[in-house]
Amino acid sequence: MEQSGTSTLLQGAVQDIASDVVSALRGGDHVRMSGTGAADDPEGHFALAAVRVLGADLLLPHVLFPTPPAPEALAVFRNTVEAFPPRADAAPTVRWSHWAMRRTLSRFDASSSGPLAGDEDAEPDAAWLDAATWQVLTHQLAVLAPLAVPGDDCAVARAARRRPVDVARGFVRAVRRRDWQQAAGAGRWLTLTEGVPDELGLEAGLDFVELMGGNDPRVALQVQAARVMRAAGALV
Amino acid sequence: MPSIDKAIEQITGVRSDLEAALDPTEPDGVYRDSRECAALALLSADTKLLLSPPTPRPKKG
Repeated sequence: MEQSGTSTLLQGAVQDIASDVVSALRGGDHVRMSGTGAADDPEGHFALAAVRVLGADLLLPHVLFPTPPAPEALAVFRNTVEAFPPRADAAPTVRWSHWAMRRTLSRFDASSSGPLAGDEDAEPDAAWLDAATWQVLTHQLAVLAPLAVPGDDCAVARAARRRPVDVARGFVRAVRRRDWQQAAGAGRWLTLTEGVPDELGLEAGLDFVELMGGNDPRVALQVQAARVMRAAGALV
Repeated sequence: MPSIDKAIEQITGVRSDLEAALDPTEPDGVYRDSRECAALALLSADTKLLLSPPTPRPKKG
């Protein structure tokens, strides 16, 4: 499928930022933020859009280790949340990814209790996941992998916990389809989920996903996140 | 004002690409070949499920 020039550039920018996050997850370092500016100029808007795509995972190393993010990174994160509120007719994944960013922002930014408080902090609806087939459930959970964080509960996480076998089936399906990003995201959820069949071989499966798809920093990010959470003994 | 027009065009394009990235459709599947199955077998001798025969591909046409 042919992609627009903007789309290609955006994906490249997302991958660059994801690489920074992977480095931070591997080294326990701060997430570096470079080349991101203000939302009121095209270049800055573009960079913030890339952060919006990566979502709450931008600050994941600081959630998992945990350490306070650098002020510059936090400012970029805050600007992104404010620059891209979901539209009224936004898809559930758009609403939830924005909600995840707000939740992460409130964790690190005391000032976020002002403009982001109130009704905006209410969880979006997650009923569409209960009615989803196991294939759709896994795809949607992989898109919302930034919500898979130890100790952070939400309706999406509860939907994942209710259907561990379905997500395991979805993980296998994603591997067979060579959809490494979906497989990595599903694997991250399974790392946090009880009742995953032992026969799945999740750890080896994630190694395989990294071997085959790890050149994509967004895949590497999910696999590394799962490893860090597993090493910390995380089962929600 | 071509620079402003270009800026608006870029921002509009980014917004549409952003929404597509945040709510992506599932890509078409590409199934593993035997070389990759062998790699998986080397990685995990205990794993049975991932090594089970692949789902038959749907016939086109």
